[in-house]
Amino acid sequence: MNGPIRRIAIGIFAAMGALLLAVTWFQVVRADDLKTDPLNPRPALTERGKERGLIVTIDGTVVARSVEDPGSRDYIREYPEGEAFAHAVGYSSFLVGSSALEAAYSSQLRSRRDLTISDIVAVILGRDLRPENLEITIHAGLQLAALEALGDNKGAVIALDPRTGAVMAAVSTPSFDPNLLLGDDSAQQWETLLIDQSRPLIDRGTLEIYAPGSSFKTVVTATAIDTGTAGPGTTFDDPSEFDLPGSTATISNFGGQTCGGGVSVSLLEAFVRSCNTVFADLSIQLGAVDIAITAEALGFNTEIAYEWAIPQAVWPTDDLVGDDAALAQSGIGERDVRATPLHMAMVAAAIANNGVVTNPYMVQRIFDAGGQTVETTEVTELGRAMAPETASVLAQMMERVVTEGTGRRAAVPGVRVAGKTGTATGHGDFSNPWFIGFAPVESPTIALAVFIEGSPSSGESATGGSLAAPIASELIEIWIASQS
Amino acid sequence: MTRNTEAALIIAASFLAAFGVTLVNFARGGSVDVQTSLTFLVFLITFGGLQVAVRTWAPRATPLLLAPIVALTAIGFLEVYRLDVVRAGLQRWWLLIGAGLAALVLALLSKPGTSVLRRYRNLILVISIALLLLPNLSSDWAFPLKGLEVNGSRLWVVLELGFTQMQFQPAELAKLGLVTFVAAYLADHQRALREAHRQVGPLRFPEPRQLIPLLAAWGVSVVILVWQRDLGASLLLFAGFVLLLYAATGATGYLAAGGLLALLGGVASSLMFDHVQRRVVAWIAPFENYQDEGFQIAQGLFALGSGSLAGAGPGLGRPDLIPNASTDFIFAAVGEELGFAGSVAVIALFALVVSVGLGIAFRSRDTFRKLLAAGLTFIFGIQVFLIIGGILRILPLTGITLPFMSYGGSALVGNLVLIALLLRISHEEAS
Repeated sequence: MNGPIRRIAIGIFAAMGALLLAVTWFQVVRADDLKTDPLNPRPALTERGKERGLIVTIDGTVVARSVEDPGSRDYIREYPEGEAFAHAVGYSSFLVGSSALEAAYSSQLRSRRDLTISDIVAVILGRDLRPENLEITIHAGLQLAALEALGDNKGAVIALDPRTGAVMAAVSTPSFDPNLLLGDDSAQQWETLLIDQSRPLIDRGTLEIYAPGSSFKTVVTATAIDTGTAGPGTTFDDPSEFDLPGSTATISNFGGQTCGGGVSVSLLEAFVRSCNTVFADLSIQLGAVDIAITAEALGFNTEIAYEWAIPQAVWPTDDLVGDDAALAQSGIGERDVRATPLHMAMVAAAIANNGVVTNPYMVQRIFDAGGQTVETTEVTELGRAMAPETASVLAQMMERVVTEGTGRRAAVPGVRVAGKTGTATGHGDFSNPWFIGFAPVESPTIALAVFIEGSPSSGESATGGSLAAPIASELIEIWIASQS
Repeated sequence: MTRNTEAALIIAASFLAAFGVTLVNFARGGSVDVQTSLTFLVFLITFGGLQVAVRTWAPRATPLLLAPIVALTAIGFLEVYRLDVVRAGLQRWWLLIGAGLAALVLALLSKPGTSVLRRYRNLILVISIALLLLPNLSSDWAFPLKGLEVNGSRLWVVLELGFTQMQFQPAELAKLGLVTFVAAYLADHQRALREAHRQVGPLRFPEPRQLIPLLAAWGVSVVILVWQRDLGASLLLFAGFVLLLYAATGATGYLAAGGLLALLGGVASSLMFDHVQRRVVAWIAPFENYQDEGFQIAQGLFALGSGSLAGAGPGLGRPDLIPNASTDFIFAAVGEELGFAGSVAVIALFALVVSVGLGIAFRSRDTFRKLLAAGLTFIFGIQVFLIIGGILRILPLTGITLPFMSYGGSALVGNLVLIALLLRISHEEAS
């Protein structure tokens, strides 16, 4: 009988061996696939209920925190400022994922109390397992004012410290309340926001590119001064229409009039009144490649390091070489020229910063639960975009825009404000008003871009000067007042 | 290895159980509490007491069997505690009851020896069949003993005692009785069965009339499957019978015919019964049927994968997401929280128990004791393979408990008695 029992024993041990092989397959070979399988609810659930780090503005306003529920002892995420920081800080939801800083700094913000063995080792080594916290460069007062100033408009405001690239305000409207995406019904709330025609989930400030319109004339003017092609006093013909070379189409000025008296006009006058005819002419004189040199030094066609991946600003050099008609339209910021509002704020900041472009950032420092700084962001420069003298001349021209030109409504009593308006062609009859600028001119502490998408009205009431400039004025006033 | 080493290992494993409970407490923000001390005490009383019973009534029994059993019980207990504190409390009571019953078996067999079981095999058969049929009692008559249907299977009886009620699965004890009967029957008819056979090619077949016990076993299995809808127990008993017949006769024909009958039964039942068909679907495509049949298997695999090498740690995984985690899927829960390391330890401990059991059978000189030890070890090993293999998608899930680890009082009691019988046989053979 021992013969059969031995053979059965071999069979049973073979079966045990098969169990070992199968468990190796699932727990070693395929472990990562199973762990990250979209059907597996564990990854999201383990984050849920755990403590996440604070996000606090540089002036001490808490914009994201975890509050412990006394009953379940679970931590619940809260965004006390609601929709004001929805696109800058984002959300961290166990059902619909995470966005913005919440996504970009997920590994710092999450609690590290999860892997037992490494936890024990870390505690022995005296490491803190509590989540780290972020201090961000945004000024809460400015941020809330920007949200209110945009009002019912679709659009974005980005304000930078021109000396460092620190983001002082970053608002996109319409916004949403990130607190809605935390509960058990977050999937339905998300769905509602997703199908909303006004696209509230989209961050218009950093993630969408738009034609910059006449605000791009700053780049063309910088090229002209830097290359010595033209200065503020250089005069240009002053037709009411500019005939596009090789085409029957024309470029006209706003309102279809001449820029100056009809004979000749200076570059300064053309800039202050934002005359398209002169800049079409100037762009062709400069050439696509020379404009590209300045534009690319300002970060166009370049990957810009930010807190998260952002789309590149576009100056389509290759398409414009040998196509003067397209070049003339591109020189006034139309056609295929594109930039995010963040990028146009960088352009304004570079002019304010004597021609040096700084990389934008929002996280000032990371600090641990004990308040100790773990990491401080160092200011980095993208490089010099124009000579200091060029920047200085351009700043004076931009100041004239505000004192006597299209940007008069950006003026702030007692403060020297520089700026440039833009009214880009939007979809159909809609226009996209812009204002970029900085203040105070003598020693700039704020640079900003105000962008409004798809303004439904036309004519004088829907330009950068009438819609975007007042918002800039309001924010600069609030900013300067807060600094004194 | 000596009894004292065994005692040391029992104490160590009791510490392991209490330590596991404490780790789960830590994961919940708690600390060492009454659960820790209760667990340590109950493990010490259960298995220390069992060892005292062995020292008294079966002193020459192998010292290799109890230690792996305590370790398995400890690992299973910490997961049951992690999943359901109330069930863990009940499980502790069942441990004490099971140890008491196992000690009683050792005491009762100490004078007459296991041969008494052979002598009364027909009585044992009748009692076993009666036990198997108990759950088919009416659910709503006045008699305090009632049958109960749970999840479509009729496996439970409820004993209402006025102040409380007790639920148990009589099949867990009937199983042991049936194996004892078959071992005794085969020991009595072994010679006839071995000598009356025909050679058909490479297969040796018994005389047709000798197939009657096999067909009877198959019949019992089919009845369990149809009447009580218990796929696992049905398969377990049938496989146990076939292996015992083969062990007793060496006739490979039994294995071939048994395999064929099992396959026929399996195919037929999956076509005929909805509950079997669902398990086949879940086995073949768990992820494609995630919202329905496949959910449990898929969750089990997610648990194992998420546990990966070192595991999430006791109390830190999410095995509570798996339906029936503390019973059928306790292995996946262990795999998630103790990782690959824990899974391998569990399989290795089971393999150790099986090899000790087979070693007892192997060294037995008495035919009945040899067959009884072999039969008990077979059903133990098959049960381990059926449930773990079901979780690991080697075969369809059969809904059966993992010995000593799953929550469940009747199973715990039955398995402790099974171990007591093996210990008693090893004592008698060493005498």
